[in-house]
Amino acid sequence: MTAWLLRRLAAGIAIIFAVVTLTFVAVHLAPGDPFLPADGRPMDPAAVARLRTAYGLDRTLLEQYGRYLVALGRGELGQSFSRRRPVAAAIGSALPNTVLLAGAALLIDFACGIAIGVFQAARVRRRSDVALTNLTLFFYSLPTFWLGMVLLLLFSQWLHWLPVGGAIDPVLHDALPLGGRLLDRLRHLVLPALTLGLVGAGGTARFQRAALLEALGQDYVRTARAKGLAERTVLVRHALRDALLPVISLLGLALPFLLTGAVLVETVFAWPGLGKLAADAILARDYPLVLGTVLVASLAVVVGSLVADLLTVAADPRIRLSG
Amino acid sequence: MITLPRVPRCIAVAVLIACTTSACSRAGGCRDEYCGTLVFAGVGEVTALLPPVSDASVDRDVYDQIFLRLADLTPDGGTIGDSGFVPQLAQRWEWTDPLTLVFHLDPRARWQDGPPVTAEDVAFTFAAYTDTAVNSADRGTLLAHIASVTAQDSLTALFHFRDRYPEMFYDAVFHMRILPAHLLRNVPLATWRTAEFGRAPVGAGPYRFVRWTPGQSLELAADSGFYLGRPHLRRLIWRFASDLNVAITQVVAGEADAIEVLLSPTNIERARNSGHLTLYSYPGPTYTFLRFNLRADGDSLRPHPIFADRDVRRALVLATDRARMCQSVFSGNAKVPPGPIPQSWSWLWVPQLTVPSYDSAQAARLLAARGWRDSDGDGVRDRGGRKLSFHLSVPSTSPPRVQYAQLLQEALKAVGVEVVIDQMEPATLQERLRAGGFDAALETWFADPSPASAAPGIWGSHGPSNFGHYASPAFDRQVAAAASATTPDAARTSWIAAFGTLDQDAPGIMLFSVDNIAAVDSRVTDVQIRPDSWWALVRTWRIPPDKLNERDRVGG
Repeated sequence: MTAWLLRRLAAGIAIIFAVVTLTFVAVHLAPGDPFLPADGRPMDPAAVARLRTAYGLDRTLLEQYGRYLVALGRGELGQSFSRRRPVAAAIGSALPNTVLLAGAALLIDFACGIAIGVFQAARVRRRSDVALTNLTLFFYSLPTFWLGMVLLLLFSQWLHWLPVGGAIDPVLHDALPLGGRLLDRLRHLVLPALTLGLVGAGGTARFQRAALLEALGQDYVRTARAKGLAERTVLVRHALRDALLPVISLLGLALPFLLTGAVLVETVFAWPGLGKLAADAILARDYPLVLGTVLVASLAVVVGSLVADLLTVAADPRIRLSG
Repeated sequence: MITLPRVPRCIAVAVLIACTTSACSRAGGCRDEYCGTLVFAGVGEVTALLPPVSDASVDRDVYDQIFLRLADLTPDGGTIGDSGFVPQLAQRWEWTDPLTLVFHLDPRARWQDGPPVTAEDVAFTFAAYTDTAVNSADRGTLLAHIASVTAQDSLTALFHFRDRYPEMFYDAVFHMRILPAHLLRNVPLATWRTAEFGRAPVGAGPYRFVRWTPGQSLELAADSGFYLGRPHLRRLIWRFASDLNVAITQVVAGEADAIEVLLSPTNIERARNSGHLTLYSYPGPTYTFLRFNLRADGDSLRPHPIFADRDVRRALVLATDRARMCQSVFSGNAKVPPGPIPQSWSWLWVPQLTVPSYDSAQAARLLAARGWRDSDGDGVRDRGGRKLSFHLSVPSTSPPRVQYAQLLQEALKAVGVEVVIDQMEPATLQERLRAGGFDAALETWFADPSPASAAPGIWGSHGPSNFGHYASPAFDRQVAAAASATTPDAARTSWIAAFGTLDQDAPGIMLFSVDNIAAVDSRVTDVQIRPDSWWALVRTWRIPPDKLNERDRVGG
């Protein structure tokens, strides 16, 4: 177990290092200058040069990379050009919002996905199964930003049921009692979380259906049925327990999906999370902030994958951690 | 198990939701003239609120409520002399000699933390704006003409100029917002870009900083003791949206009260149909144009194979039906400028300057006369084995410019010119422009109130933003004459001559200048908008007591 963990840890560090290196090269080679106004306003070249010197951009790429790694080794992510504050602080204020959004989306994804998958497996090849197969395929194929815009149009602009964007109501939030503040957050969370969650649920449901159908064909399920157990008991107590294992491993894969999806969804809903921060940073050519957000995202993916493996082991005693 | 009937359960949910917006809020008792909360929907986020080191337009919108100039432009004020200005921190001013301008500060002016605003603050501000460590974008402009700023006594500041010119007063007051020396003196100048003061500023303006929630919103509160008159609106809140569509949806849905510009006819229609918004049209401070690169793409030493020829450029201008394009894209909410002139320079929209009329036949003749003929019958003219084809760089984030690129492509195809549209993000376009790596580009320019700083920068031989390398000694002379004219009439005459030269040389095609249309919730009255700074006069806006809603009263 310890050896396995150490190996996974080493692999994780190598992956993060490779991602950071590739991102560093890519953002520095991308056209655009972080200190030139994007609207083309005249800027004194000497002033731009002074800024480039102040932030070390006048050095060679290799030198900048070396300095970045040294700083990273000290736990410093640098200073954001566009936010005018430490990258760690900018990420620190965005990360909780993304964790909240990703958590809620994950809940919707797995709760709906597993429920639909089980429902379909229990009614395999019936009309409801076919209809849900088409529906889940439909959601799975939808681009998240498009679904977000449709939900926004429907529930915010036409029906006025839910807010257009942001994480809280900036006018009322502080004046609300605790319950009201929680509800305010919830109202703002519904649409972005649904957007991310529904698309994910489409995939999870299809996965769950297939896993459960496979489990239902196993000998132990036939034995359970032969013992005269009710179909619901056979399905939930016996088959589903087995069929959940592959779905647990999906957790690790869901995290990158949620983080990449968050870039678009957070932009559509003006959700102040890591995805929007990364998108803004890319547009502003804010190298340290781009690197910081990529670092955190890759860390989350590595950790998520590790947790998924550990959960699978915990759920299935037949699996041993080795090699 | 007891189950709630369907309708009451819905009602319960509705009550719960309503709870967050009204009933459960701790609505205050504010009911008079000085209540009101105004939520602005803005695109992009504030970077910092320290004027010398932050000049993004959203930064300026916010800090113009916190910091004041010595004097400010009136909504239709000119920049020559001082007649177009009203007192702000300075109560009055006078010239003691042709090169010395004396400002007498208003003794009532106070910083929001208590101390009075003094001439020391003015001198300190000038020193900061012109220090290389601060690296202000206005440093060059200020140092070009102002030798020094000193404090004669606590309420008298002296500006010493290097030379005489018509916009001395404008330069003295417009570029600097006065800063509190007592709070900033001990902050090292080199750290101002990231200084904590820029995240929680203290000024002497009508509004004081309350909070800034990164990525979400920023709030200001009215300074009830503001010496030029208590602002009517008690709270100003900026909501940061990632794009214009989200911002407009917030306003249309009633989650924000105002947006500075709607831009497209579709957005204008959406706002008009909302039923709760009033639209305000004001002259736009921008103009959009197609710039020709007169030097070869990526090689500024060689002439451009197509655009170095003035007649070819003029032919392309003639082949562009600008009035029809403008109508097609903006449905009457923009005008074709008679030169590089935004609508906010209304004093230059004169009959002497006219837009050359569309004449595709003349354009075709001009091209043929320069040897560009369709020798192989493929629909594209050629000369000496080279096709009359060029790449047009367009920022993909600007729908009007993308639309214009397509219309230009169609229009020029009709006279045998091939246009290849290259859409790219703004940062990439800027880099290409600065490196000279383009054939032609669609640019939008946000102009200062004075053409004297804007026009030579973009079209002057040595202008830092003259990316197309247009060089005309005649134009430079005429601009210099305009900038040194001592009366508005003389300046206008010289500007007309300069823009006439530009029209003859056709270094670009001036396409449109939009009528900016802002949308503001109808409960807000006394709305005045200044073209160069949309919300500059917001302290005079108000919401009558009978129109206040629950949101306006929160926290009162």
